[in-house]
Amino acid sequence: MFLRNAWYVAAIDTEISRTPLRRIFMNEPIVMYRTEAGVAVALEDRCAHRHLPLSMGKLIEGDILECLYHGLCFDTSGNCVKVPGQQTVPPGARVKAYPMVERYHWVWIWMGDPALADPDTITDFHWFDDPEWGAATRYLHVKGNWQLVVDNLLDLTHLAFVHTTTIGNRALVDAKVKVDRSPNDVTVTRWTVDAPAPPTFVKAGGFTGNVDRWQIIHFTPPSFVRLDVGATPTGTGAPEGRRVGGIQMRNLNAMTPETETTTHYFYGQAHDFDIRNPKTTEMVMEQITTAFLEDQAVFEAQQANMLQVPNAPQIDINADTGVLQARRILDRLHTEEQAALRTAAE
Amino acid sequence: MTWHRVAAAADLDEGEAVAAEVDEHRIALCRVHGTIYAFENVCPHAFALLSDGFIEGNEIECPLHAARFDIATGECLSPPADRDLVTYAVKVEGEEVFVEIYS
Repeated sequence: MFLRNAWYVAAIDTEISRTPLRRIFMNEPIVMYRTEAGVAVALEDRCAHRHLPLSMGKLIEGDILECLYHGLCFDTSGNCVKVPGQQTVPPGARVKAYPMVERYHWVWIWMGDPALADPDTITDFHWFDDPEWGAATRYLHVKGNWQLVVDNLLDLTHLAFVHTTTIGNRALVDAKVKVDRSPNDVTVTRWTVDAPAPPTFVKAGGFTGNVDRWQIIHFTPPSFVRLDVGATPTGTGAPEGRRVGGIQMRNLNAMTPETETTTHYFYGQAHDFDIRNPKTTEMVMEQITTAFLEDQAVFEAQQANMLQVPNAPQIDINADTGVLQARRILDRLHTEEQAALRTAAE
Repeated sequence: MTWHRVAAAADLDEGEAVAAEVDEHRIALCRVHGTIYAFENVCPHAFALLSDGFIEGNEIECPLHAARFDIATGECLSPPADRDLVTYAVKVEGEEVFVEIYS
């Protein structure tokens, strides 16, 4: 299931250059490159003539992309402007062009109806740009469906089992989780009050005693999960809204479906301590990457089993509340999008 | 039948549910428009705890599969649950909340 009428992250800004980059989104091959002026462009990565990926070709004469096979030339809007060896360009000689916007050090793509592509609807990830925070972003390719990643990020209970060396510890197992919802978002909140700090927090925050720790997860459709996490020395008032003497981080996630069973996973971490020190940014990225590689192994094993035993039943447990609320929102949006497509077709 | 103390009235906020246990009875307590109601806390469909669910007006929605129940009467209002909830009589004495259990 894909929701097409939404902005998705296509690449980290530094990934797109004058060398064409191929990536598949929602089963469609896309080639991305920058114009001489530095603007990111996304075209269908399949020559209109004989299907060769245009990403195997090269940029010539400024911003013209030349196919490797017979030298057909395409401009940034996807129109074929030259067929070598002939005077004319046949009708229909064009490839699809996709809206792109660069924001928060990510390059965003719109896979749906271009008429609906409003950049104001891009989900807020300002922490990557904010001078009050240090931050970095990375990319993981996951051999699993994108919704498995959303599920994982909305579920706090797995931390105590999957991530015991980094962000999890047994203090989390019995902490109460609260789920709030509105028609288009879900918030999962867990406070762990007066408990030992997990390894990452000891490393980053230098805590010597117990802490009050918060994990507040915000889900925004279709696939954005932003976590507000942090800890302060216990008894200093964080549960009442006074965050002093501790550390805060934002864990920032954007999943873009590649196929039904594979995902482009863009993640980042922002920190509000030692913000100008690249070594600190590197340290929090290493910690979170360790955890996410543990998650990646889980997704890929889940997906492999789901392909081995298709449509097998599963049970739900109380910890799935946030996951199921998010899935219900996505199902509703998908039904609405399909209905709108049918109406448009009629 | 016996009255059992299950909560302090001050711990029950309007529009919130809390879980209580008396022997083998798992009970949800819920305050709606000032009145406290008690009903079985385990959803008959897939055994989720209703006290983790969503309260909207006079109804509570199961946190997992969205079965809905009338908080005052226990009536099942929508699937996938297929029966009404057991309800318990509630009385408040001073600051204490009691429910009546038949045993």
